[in-house]
Amino acid sequence: MAQQEFIIQRYNPDTDESYEESFDVDVQPGQTLLDSLNQIKWEQDGTLSFRMSCRHAICGSCAMKVNGQSMLTCQTQVDAAVERGDPVRIGPMGNQNVVKDLVVDVTKFLQQFERAETWLEPYEDQEPPEKEYRQKVEEFDHWSHASTCIHCGACYSDCTVAAVDENFLGPAALAKAYRFVMDSRDSKREERLEYLSETQGGIWDCTRCYMCVQACPKDVLPMDAIMELRTLAIEAGHTNNHGARHHKGFAGGVRKRGRLDEMMLPVQSVGIGRLLTGQISAHKEMMDYTPGAIRLLKSRKLLTIAQRHGASAEGREQIQRIFDEVESEKHHHDVDADAFGAEFETAIGGH
Amino acid sequence: MSKYAFWPGCVARGAAPELYTSTLAVAEHLGMDLVELEAAACTGAGIISDGEPYLQDVLNARTMAMSEQMDLPLMDICSTCVGVHRLAAEKLRDVDYRIRINHHLAPEGIEYRGSADPRHLLWILLEDVGIDKINSMIKRPLEELNLGPFYGCYIVRPERTLDFDAHPTRRDSLEQLIDILGATTVTYDGMTKCCGFPILTTNKKNSLTMAGSHLDEAQSKGADALVTPCPLCHLNLDAQQPDAAKVIDRSLNLPILHVPQLMGLAMGIDPEKLGLTRHVVDTRNLLNKLGV
Ligand code: SF4
Ligand code: SF4
Ligand code: SF4
Ligand code: SF4
Ligand code: FES
Repeated sequence: MAQQEFIIQRYNPDTDESYEESFDVDVQPGQTLLDSLNQIKWEQDGTLSFRMSCRHAICGSCAMKVNGQSMLTCQTQVDAAVERGDPVRIGPMGNQNVVKDLVVDVTKFLQQFERAETWLEPYEDQEPPEKEYRQKVEEFDHWSHASTCIHCGACYSDCTVAAVDENFLGPAALAKAYRFVMDSRDSKREERLEYLSETQGGIWDCTRCYMCVQACPKDVLPMDAIMELRTLAIEAGHTNNHGARHHKGFAGGVRKRGRLDEMMLPVQSVGIGRLLTGQISAHKEMMDYTPGAIRLLKSRKLLTIAQRHGASAEGREQIQRIFDEVESEKHHHDVDADAFGAEFETAIGGH
Repeated sequence: MSKYAFWPGCVARGAAPELYTSTLAVAEHLGMDLVELEAAACTGAGIISDGEPYLQDVLNARTMAMSEQMDLPLMDICSTCVGVHRLAAEKLRDVDYRIRINHHLAPEGIEYRGSADPRHLLWILLEDVGIDKINSMIKRPLEELNLGPFYGCYIVRPERTLDFDAHPTRRDSLEQLIDILGATTVTYDGMTKCCGFPILTTNKKNSLTMAGSHLDEAQSKGADALVTPCPLCHLNLDAQQPDAAKVIDRSLNLPILHVPQLMGLAMGIDPEKLGLTRHVVDTRNLLNKLGV
């Protein structure tokens, strides 16, 4: 048995007081953080508030910030936490209002699922199959990671965009939306892809920071799901938005020079077409980037085209060949996918 | 002499030329031989993979195959590059996938065999050059400076891809470097978070709120400057700093240094040669503090 110090972030809603409090706990080898919180509550301070239920990483109640990273306290042993910081600091989840001590108001988090309509929308006009809906094993294997979410909120708590934007749908709701986009029983795939790429706070607002992947106790890989949604949305033709244009402009630049062309990116994201056709909103957005460009010029950072370093001539040729080869292969795949899609539709319709 | 297949990345060869020149200057002083991959393509930065993940993997397989062919370890100087390279290396451990990808490299007679272990200059300094050698090269310890680390996402996440379990020192590589060079580390919450750069053109307000709040936090904790291994972070934290200040409505004046610039300063290299005069946020006060 060893003594371990915990520093707990407390909040008293009656007095609106926030403070840190230190507790020493006798810990056994293998003991979890949640065990330790219970020890504090039972033996030292009965007013300490936190959520818990299953103690087996199933219910998703006990996520908190431990040494700055969100995790399930019932799944994390004291030893593992100490490796990342001693004394162990435990605080409430981030990006949500604190109700008391380690309890946060999860309303906002749960509303994101409602907004993304993360439930099954079956094919109404088709007879249900006689036995069950069939899903191919390989297909389910591909997206099953996204079906294991326990709604603990650890990802949302650490999400860097949720920290600055209430409107962002967030990693968990987007991963769940992906799960239904991929589900062969769901009839709303196209509508979902359109909504997720066009709505404010949708798939293009994620910064690709990996916080959610790192925090998730269930390997849901929310960011990977968001990235795949982007690819699916582009493939489905939802390309009239900043994100898709950014991708296209970036890839186009690399095809041409073998390297990124930062100077052209704002133009491409705003949309060359929109600028040329004189759309006022496009010109306004462009003006937004101008101060940055002038500053770069002053600090001699904005280089002339000749100074910007592309890949060697030989390299450029090879890179272009690869771009074109992959592109033409994709068209072959599209044909395959169409054939597969038709077969699939009949399979799931049950007739 | 230690020799590396060197991928500078687009930004060091574009909007952040001071990263390129300072890397070369430091490498020369340390006796590192860098063979630049002139024919290599952009890593795609996770942006090509937004629409074309397969294409991005081909481009990176090609770069890694080039380093294999030279029989040299692959060195990156950008958090994003090293993260994207390592993710590709991880996916390409699957033999079937590698065969499929390699078929695009066949026309040039190259093949990716799956052996690349891409690393960032920052790790190479600690893992290959070593603390003793760095210590012996320090001419001007940075004792006067309080420095905030700013990592950039892809050099700290996802930990599995970065092999943190086998190399626990990678977890706090910047703090270690700051310490070796004699300066004091200022820790703050934002140091491992996202600078916001990837959404600068898609959601400028969110992007600059992120950059601004990390800068503000570090500044208020007493940092004289930040040091970053990511030139993309540098763009958002340095070039966009005046706009970020406006968005969060605070006054910000925090110089942002690249890793080799910091090394170079401690090794007594001329600030001009390190490109320290080419920043948007003036580095003069910082240099005065060091007496150079
Ligand atoms: S990767 Fe995207 S969703 Fe995940 S934490 Fe970062 S910003 Fe949020
Ligand atoms: S995705 Fe993971 S971290 Fe996020 S709510 Fe679901 S289980 Fe928790
Ligand atoms: S990740 Fe960035 S710096 Fe690295 S190769 Fe690509 S665009 Fe260039
Ligand atoms: S901090 Fe920003 S630029 Fe740096 S790696 Fe992360 S997202 Fe990229
Ligand atoms: S108590 Fe249920 S997940 Fe931790």
